[in-house]
Amino acid sequence: MSYFVQLLVSGLVVGSIYALAALGFVLIYKASRVINFAQGEFIAVGAFVVYALSVYLGMNIWLALVISLLLTAVLGFFVERVFLRPLVGQPIISVIMVTIGLASLLEGAIHLTPFGGGNFSFPSFLPQKGIEFAGISVSYPQVLAVFFTLIFLAVFAWFFQRSTLGIAMRAVADDQMAAMSLGVSVEKVFALAWAAAGITAAAAGFIVGTVSGINLGGLVSIGLRVFPVVILGGLDSIPGAVIGGIAIGILENLATGYLDPLVPGGGTGGVFPFVVLLLVLWFKPYGLFGTEEIERV
Amino acid sequence: MRNPWMQTGNYRTSYRQDTTIFATYSEQLSLIVLLLSLLFLPMFLSRPQMFVVDLILVYALAVVGLNITTGYAGLISIGHAAFVGVGAYTAALLAPALPFWLTVPLGGLAAAIAGGIVGIPSLRIKHLYLAIATLAFQLIFEWGVGHSTLLQQGGAIAMPRVVFAGYKVGYKNHYYFWYYVTLVVLIVLAFAFRNLLRTKYGRALVAVRDNDRAADAMGMHPGLTKIFAFALGAFYAGVAGGLYAYLSRAVVIEDYMLNVSIELLAMSIVGGLGSMVGSFLGPAFLVLLDLNMEDFANWLKALGMSLPGVDIASAMRPLTFGLVIVLFLVFEPRGLANWWRLVRNYFKNWPFKY
Repeated sequence: MSYFVQLLVSGLVVGSIYALAALGFVLIYKASRVINFAQGEFIAVGAFVVYALSVYLGMNIWLALVISLLLTAVLGFFVERVFLRPLVGQPIISVIMVTIGLASLLEGAIHLTPFGGGNFSFPSFLPQKGIEFAGISVSYPQVLAVFFTLIFLAVFAWFFQRSTLGIAMRAVADDQMAAMSLGVSVEKVFALAWAAAGITAAAAGFIVGTVSGINLGGLVSIGLRVFPVVILGGLDSIPGAVIGGIAIGILENLATGYLDPLVPGGGTGGVFPFVVLLLVLWFKPYGLFGTEEIERV
Repeated sequence: MRNPWMQTGNYRTSYRQDTTIFATYSEQLSLIVLLLSLLFLPMFLSRPQMFVVDLILVYALAVVGLNITTGYAGLISIGHAAFVGVGAYTAALLAPALPFWLTVPLGGLAAAIAGGIVGIPSLRIKHLYLAIATLAFQLIFEWGVGHSTLLQQGGAIAMPRVVFAGYKVGYKNHYYFWYYVTLVVLIVLAFAFRNLLRTKYGRALVAVRDNDRAADAMGMHPGLTKIFAFALGAFYAGVAGGLYAYLSRAVVIEDYMLNVSIELLAMSIVGGLGSMVGSFLGPAFLVLLDLNMEDFANWLKALGMSLPGVDIASAMRPLTFGLVIVLFLVFEPRGLANWWRLVRNYFKNWPFKY
């Protein structure tokens, strides 16, 4: 039983990382119908900036985090301006490919820095000893991860429900044409969505860094894991991203815990989310909370 | 239209004329000249150069397949390398027992079956959702190969040297032999597809791409057409995979991973989606670019232009690759095929402006 709960806890932590990464993904999709294949690279940029600032420049880690959040926001803004803006109205395949090209570009740029290969870990700033509770141990970084995700969710919930910009973003997601005619700047909303995606990516990268070490391959693979999450939750649903993220994180850990001993070679945690993805696509293509597309000839 | 050799424009007057493969005699002539020159090309190339040409041809075959699925039928596939892999692994498993002219088509067939299965979700979902489904297939394929003892868990499976018509293909003529085999297969399959496009099945592909609801209303079966498109594209990929396995003399999972799928997509986009010429130009461009980038990176390293802890070579490849994709999409979304079209039209209409 305690094994099961232990798996649940670590699944929850991994799930909150996925939830944050998926949040940025969904924000972009909701606003501009663009699938962002570069989310993993955004996460990597965020994590490495925190590392570089805190280790090479000796900054306080929280200050480094704030700067990293700002930098990735600017990066997202810049990417939207330079790469996505010229492709408005192009076929889906072009838009998908431009984000894939962007992912490749960012990866190349990271290879130009010392972060291309090897493992890095943040200087520890939390107590080493974890919390023990009825035979289940939870480390402080894990608590921080969940706490951090909750903060972000609260901020985003407030933003979308209360602020003018958030309401404008929802309006654009709902009906671009109508929003435009009511004076909402659709371009501004697109740029904002990308900036917000950059922020959530950096936050996810920071959490990965505190919970475990960071390396380029691992961070980029989170960008791929986002797909099962958003398909399960629904591509255009923010609560879906969070619930899907946590569900996939827990499923992944349960698969690793219970299926790995049965499969020679193990590694079921990596593939199980994608099996879930296929099943969801077959039986409930628009996920738990996604809007169904209705097409007309 | 007295003299068909001097034709400067499009003078077709009937539907039958419009569906011919070649519009003019000069087009036929230029193709024959091209094929003849390809036949004699190996006489001028060294062994390593030959390998590059072989590689381009094999990739071209796979990209023709991808173009069928993605370019003509409009079904985005991010799992095409997995189909190539299915073909390669089938060929590798059958190679000890059967001759290559059976294993390669059988590899294609196995890939076609896999393609049909992967295509099933396209009955219900489309566009982005379908792209993500193919991505899932790619990752499940990688995991499946990595965990199967039969396939060496993704490690190298050696391919035997082949004997063809009593003639043993050895080290010296390996690349030359496979050049001719690949060339013949490519020509036959490219013509077959070109011809298919003139039939109702081929036109159904394009109709379903442009609007599947409307195609449905016109009496086509969009579901079957989509599955057919997947299976056909996968067949081409599988044949390419079988040929690649023999050419590289080993089957390793690294050659059939997600990044290869993305590379194939990039080739078809750089070449021009939905165009036959593009399927050849794209692979040629990207393979040559990749090789030159390696040289360039080594040259930079030799100049001492590298920082400690930084591997320029591993940075250069994704950088140029990403840059090429992005630049093409932003500035020339119709790809190299469009440049080819412009040049051709210039000569076709010469001495007139248009």
